[in-house]
Amino acid sequence: MKKKVIGLIDGQSGNIGSINKAIKEIIKGRPYQLKIIKGEFDNSLFSKIILPGQGAYATLISNLKKLKIYKPLKKYLDNNRSYLGICVGMQILSDQGHEDKTTKGLGIIAGEIKKFKSKKLIIPHMGWNSIRLNKEDPIITNNLDNKDFYFVHSYIFQNIKKSNVLANTHYGKKFPSIIKKGNIYGVQFHPEKSHKYGLNLIKNYILKS
Amino acid sequence: MLKTRIIPCLDVIKNKVVKGVNFKNIKVMGNAVEMARYYSLSGADELCMLDINASYQNRKTFIKTVEAIAKVINIPLTVGGGISVLDDITDLLNAGADKVSINSAAVKNPKLIRQASIKHGSQCIVVAIDGKRHENKMKVVVKGGREITKKELIVWAKEVQSLGAGEILMTSMDTDGVQNGFDSSMLKKVTSNVSIPVIASGGVGNLEHFYLGHLTKSTGLLAASVFHSGKYKIKSVKKYLKNKGVPVRL
Repeated sequence: MKKKVIGLIDGQSGNIGSINKAIKEIIKGRPYQLKIIKGEFDNSLFSKIILPGQGAYATLISNLKKLKIYKPLKKYLDNNRSYLGICVGMQILSDQGHEDKTTKGLGIIAGEIKKFKSKKLIIPHMGWNSIRLNKEDPIITNNLDNKDFYFVHSYIFQNIKKSNVLANTHYGKKFPSIIKKGNIYGVQFHPEKSHKYGLNLIKNYILKS
Repeated sequence: MLKTRIIPCLDVIKNKVVKGVNFKNIKVMGNAVEMARYYSLSGADELCMLDINASYQNRKTFIKTVEAIAKVINIPLTVGGGISVLDDITDLLNAGADKVSINSAAVKNPKLIRQASIKHGSQCIVVAIDGKRHENKMKVVVKGGREITKKELIVWAKEVQSLGAGEILMTSMDTDGVQNGFDSSMLKKVTSNVSIPVIASGGVGNLEHFYLGHLTKSTGLLAASVFHSGKYKIKSVKKYLKNKGVPVRL
């Protein structure tokens, strides 16, 4: 049987060691193989693509362009193919990000990325926080509702359609922590750092979605 | 709701966890990789490890230890000690650290904080500050408290925030190693003057100390001896805190 290929994009935005390790553990003995995407790629080879990211929105977008990953990725997403974006890898699905300047995003899920507003909040939002499900979905079955995941971010996805939000988290106010449109998922937290429930979520994405 | 993080800290020489009161009488507590694996499994929210004897020879083994630990845990890992230039930070992140903690190198060269946060993002740059009271002022100290710098603690804490630090690891050298509790007044002073997360460090000896640490508005509570000696399990600390109404991940 031909193995399904999972692409893990190294956008030079934080190290990919933990997510790489997590995927390998999950696909061991299963009909999948993992390929790291570091540059221009043929998107027809992949059945799933995962993009972890840390740090700045603008940096990740410009890295993806520099590495010639942006175009094939954009096409892949425009065709509603299976994707999991982690943290900034989720945020760049939006129309635009507002940091020091405004950066155009991939424009896959309507909305924009803005900083947490309240002056009373400790920023970044760093640590374990729980998610509340809006609706059931293959990647967040297995009783992941109300479980804690590890977050590190100062920006959140705003002006998103409610129908694209699978789960919310509360920090100062409610913000989207898992989003979905078609076959495209984004998680604001780091499942690869979130112990067993995080691994559960990655496993569900790979095996069930 | 955001949970208060319980963070065991491993003081490491090569691949061994050691303990020493004020860096004297150093005693081996165990194998670093085994202890890291144990803490990750038993509910630690994050792990911190420091190279406390970063000589050229020990460093290679230490980096290998970081790599080995990153492979066996799936919680965030902060690594510090032995950092002097930007390349040292890159090396640790490449070895699998999620965050890097800079201490005396930042005091010597504050620009390093800005360079590191621009290159790698604020979220992975922790500035460790060692504080001590001296002539009625809270000062920044280096070399394990042996050298008092000219910097005032609060001025420095604000400065590291504006330079791009994502978090402060605040150790009071007045309370470190003696297990009489965190330095609440020093911690409160820091948390009320910055808006980035502060991890409290130095002085935990019993369960109540964790609770008092939480009251300082520190969002992470770091401890070493009480965990390494087996006095408390991470879970029992969290259960205690939960009963006190502190949000924790159980």
